[in-house]
Amino acid sequence: MSRAAYPPPRTIWDGINPIRMIGELSETRYWMYLLLLPSAMLITAVVLYPTVYGMQMSFREMRLNRPDLGTDWVLFKHYARMLADPIFWTSLRNTAVWVTSSIALEFLIGLIAALALNRNLPGTKLLAVLILLPYFLPNVVAGHMWALMLDPRMGVINDLLVKTGLLVGYKAWFADPATAMAAAIIVETWHSFPFFTLLIMAGLKGIPADLYKAADIDGAGALAQLRLITLPMLKTIIAAAVILRVIGLVNSPDLLLILTSGGPGRSTQVLSLYAFQMAYKDFNFGYAGALSVVMFVLLMLFAWAYIRLSKVNQD
Amino acid sequence: MATLSIKGVRKSFGSVEVLKNIDIDLEDGGFLVLLGPSGCGKSTLLSIIAGLESSSGGDIVIGERNVNDVHPKDRNIAMVFQSYALYPTMSVRRNIGFGLEMRKVDPQTRESEVNKAAEMLQIEHLLDRKPGQLSGGQRQRVAMGRAIVRDPDLFLFDEPLSNLDAKLRVEMRTEIKRLHDRLGTTVVYVTHDQIEAMTLGTRVAVMKGGVIQQLAEPQTIYEKPANMFVAGFIGSPTMNFLAGRLERADGGLVLSHGDAALPLTELTQDAGAYVGKQVVAGIRPETLHPGSGGSTLTGTVDVVEPTGPDTMVILNVGGQMLTARVGSRDRPKLGEAMTLSVDTAAINLFDPDSGDRI
Amino acid sequence: MTIRFDRRSMLKLGGGALAASALLPRTAFAQSTSINYWHTFTSQSEQAGLDSVMALFKAAHPDISVTPENIPNPEFMAKITAAVVSGSRPNVTMVSSERFRDLLAMGALVDMTDRVASWERRSDFDNSRFDSISLDGKVYGVPGFAFVDWMYYRKDWFDEAGIAVPTTWAELRDAAIKRSDPAKGRYGFGLRGGPGGQNIIINMMEAFGSPVLHADGSIGLDRDKAIAAVDFFAGLLVKDGAAPPSAANDGFRQIIEGFQTGQTAMIYHHTGSYQDIASKLKPGVEFGTMAIPAGPGARVARLAYAYNTITKEEGADAAWEWIKFWGEPDAAVAFLEKTGYFPASTVAAQDQRIIGNPMYAAAADTLAFGIPQPSFPGAAGWAESSVLPNFQRVLIGEATAEQAVDDMIAGLAEAIA
Repeated sequence: MSRAAYPPPRTIWDGINPIRMIGELSETRYWMYLLLLPSAMLITAVVLYPTVYGMQMSFREMRLNRPDLGTDWVLFKHYARMLADPIFWTSLRNTAVWVTSSIALEFLIGLIAALALNRNLPGTKLLAVLILLPYFLPNVVAGHMWALMLDPRMGVINDLLVKTGLLVGYKAWFADPATAMAAAIIVETWHSFPFFTLLIMAGLKGIPADLYKAADIDGAGALAQLRLITLPMLKTIIAAAVILRVIGLVNSPDLLLILTSGGPGRSTQVLSLYAFQMAYKDFNFGYAGALSVVMFVLLMLFAWAYIRLSKVNQD
Repeated sequence: MATLSIKGVRKSFGSVEVLKNIDIDLEDGGFLVLLGPSGCGKSTLLSIIAGLESSSGGDIVIGERNVNDVHPKDRNIAMVFQSYALYPTMSVRRNIGFGLEMRKVDPQTRESEVNKAAEMLQIEHLLDRKPGQLSGGQRQRVAMGRAIVRDPDLFLFDEPLSNLDAKLRVEMRTEIKRLHDRLGTTVVYVTHDQIEAMTLGTRVAVMKGGVIQQLAEPQTIYEKPANMFVAGFIGSPTMNFLAGRLERADGGLVLSHGDAALPLTELTQDAGAYVGKQVVAGIRPETLHPGSGGSTLTGTVDVVEPTGPDTMVILNVGGQMLTARVGSRDRPKLGEAMTLSVDTAAINLFDPDSGDRI
Repeated sequence: MTIRFDRRSMLKLGGGALAASALLPRTAFAQSTSINYWHTFTSQSEQAGLDSVMALFKAAHPDISVTPENIPNPEFMAKITAAVVSGSRPNVTMVSSERFRDLLAMGALVDMTDRVASWERRSDFDNSRFDSISLDGKVYGVPGFAFVDWMYYRKDWFDEAGIAVPTTWAELRDAAIKRSDPAKGRYGFGLRGGPGGQNIIINMMEAFGSPVLHADGSIGLDRDKAIAAVDFFAGLLVKDGAAPPSAANDGFRQIIEGFQTGQTAMIYHHTGSYQDIASKLKPGVEFGTMAIPAGPGARVARLAYAYNTITKEEGADAAWEWIKFWGEPDAAVAFLEKTGYFPASTVAAQDQRIIGNPMYAAAADTLAFGIPQPSFPGAAGWAESSVLPNFQRVLIGEATAEQAVDDMIAGLAEAIA
């Protein structure tokens, strides 16, 4: 099919008529870039500019409460400091523990919940709504709620544990470095496992029932079906959920801020919290920026490695 | 290989009874086709045979063994699904060998069995692909490979050809027939396609509303349908139903229809009880031939449909439409009167009230 | 007032529909000025105090409507930083003295020197009240009320055991050990090792003779004395067992609840929690108040002020009315009666309703020797991100007092570098 060329100008007005000029432009190959321009500008304004701004901050002296120091370029000063900063390394290690343990538990519980809810037994619809409730709570609310429930003086959980004989006396979960991180991980798991449930349930709906019938006949038991059919077929969804959750966990300090503020000592100090404190307590936006850039790079590396290892983008 | 007995099987979903007292016996090596329109209960019956669904009553006996309480994997059956149900994340090789893998067959044996099945189905070159990379016909072959590799007592096919295009469907039909001839395994095959039923089955069970309408050899089903439903369901174009009164004339029986009277010579059925009553005559289109010999019917040509090998002529006979399958060279003109000679021996009479064959 | 929909006003509306819709509600309150007030009040008693001040203000200034906005303390600096950077500042912001220098440095505060100088109630306030909100002769706020450090103790338990009210930290330790019975879940001292505890730790170091900075701005922390202070204070938990095991995570809510529920016999706080305590325990019978004990180096009790500052030029006149109003004795006493926070005005502090109440005696005494909190850019950050976690490490046995103090000194050097 040949497209009719734009009719040639007949009058002087045709030569300067802006609508006509747009019309002519629309016949050229530049038109497509022109159409992309608004979204490109939007992305630049909303995504690119802040990201680049945050990155350049990490190469500057930027202490909001010390205008006397100026905002000169300092190259890799902040990054050099980071290498020698024991709190950074502690935070990095804690971040790894915090993220991997939380994700592992959230995934496991989320999967079990999704499998249970997917059976379409009576009442599962209501249960599905109930089980999602924690996820609807803002981190701040969930944090304060659990801080009260785990309170060493009046917390119901201590009360229950003592009454059932599992604990001798009330325990200050967040005051003991041996339990602070674990308790925080449990709170985080409680709060976010519905995210996995939700996504996995959506994924389960997409697996044809015939596969399980075929597997039944082929002699695969429930566990083999889970391992060889369900999980491989959920691979993409699980990978997406894990990456989203990892990003969320690495980047948001709010739950730990409320539960422990990184304490006791530095036992629950994580990178996001450290960067947050650097920015808003110490007003050292340069160093906070450098910490954020490191988090950003680590997340990119993780996402890249994870997608490669899980072979999501194959088949 | 084994026989299959279905004894008084019933199935209800709540108050809805989808299978009513099904009885079927299938000989060892037989090919049973469950044929019927959708919703007739044929797939449910297959699921019950497979053990994927429980029955509400009755027994399934495979060989000498009552398998009512036996798990599908222990019934020694294999099943081919309409959707093929191939495991999308596994290679073709693993798909075919999956049943063996689950039964802890050692890898060497498994490998050689898979290769043997693949060779039989000519899919050796596809073994390392994933199901997503295969065409419909190839998937179909893989699904069959998965079934035959296990050498089961019983093959179950659930509308295996429905998702294929017309040409492939014919090819695969032949393939299945060849496989059955070669392996000799007992087969239960669900379909709504009468050609598949006719070509493949050694026995055909026509089902409707959870009841078997007729269980017989394909030719019997075709020539002597048990009722008007079976008669209408089998055959294309469908059997002509000509309503009329059965009368006695000239020592024989005559179907009088309007002005026409069709002498029913060589009528083998015991139709004496219906003399003087309304009956329905079932006449296959191919038993009507142009000509004036023997019993004849005359009508006006309404539509002419050449199909290549044959020509379908639709005639208006006393206000009723009849289809005749005539030779490809016979091209009557529209509106012309046409006289057809009727092979009265092939006529089936039905009771218009019950629909049953007289 | 009605809006005339002629062509011109329609054009204006079309030109800025958003702006117009923002303006519309205001037309309902003709002649009235609205200001918003950012504060960090959290407890019910604080909220009640604010409500009563607002009610009095409304009666006195019907033309000004104040919209209070609660900013939780932990998020305060992040929110105000964002507001300053994005230009969405509040009219009036409550600023605690340790945040003054940081906010001034980021340009959040409006110079109020002239307004304060010409204020008719300026003479009600001691000059020193403005020290923590002034720099280089310029004044940036007016004290709204005072935080007077003091302690609460279980008078009934002390009387029963015949223990005298401690006047030194050594005596306090003895008393705390005597009143501790971990088997019964009772502890002598409600040690605040969680959020907010950093200031008490700094006070302890100064009480042991180790101020944070010298007058010239150089590091004043004396390693040995600071170690002795940390060793003593953390020792209340780790050596004496006289503090609840949850100390490392105990913040404001926890220490108040610990005292209210009979877990602890003494807590270190300020007058602002008086009404909260009195709502659970009987003043003068079950609990008493006492001045902060003296340390070997000094007696350190902070007199801090919550300053009301103008943070936006627009509406500054109305803002100034609201800020001044906190200096009215009636407002100050009403606030005290709801909360326990002391008036910043000397005149208001002489009110019969205050000097006539023996429970306030300890606070009145403290006014004589109390000192302001150290304030320098980075002070709050250092206290929160170095002093507190390092002290916690001692509490949980992860570091010695020596290691903790070394880290604190290193952190301080970094903060003021």
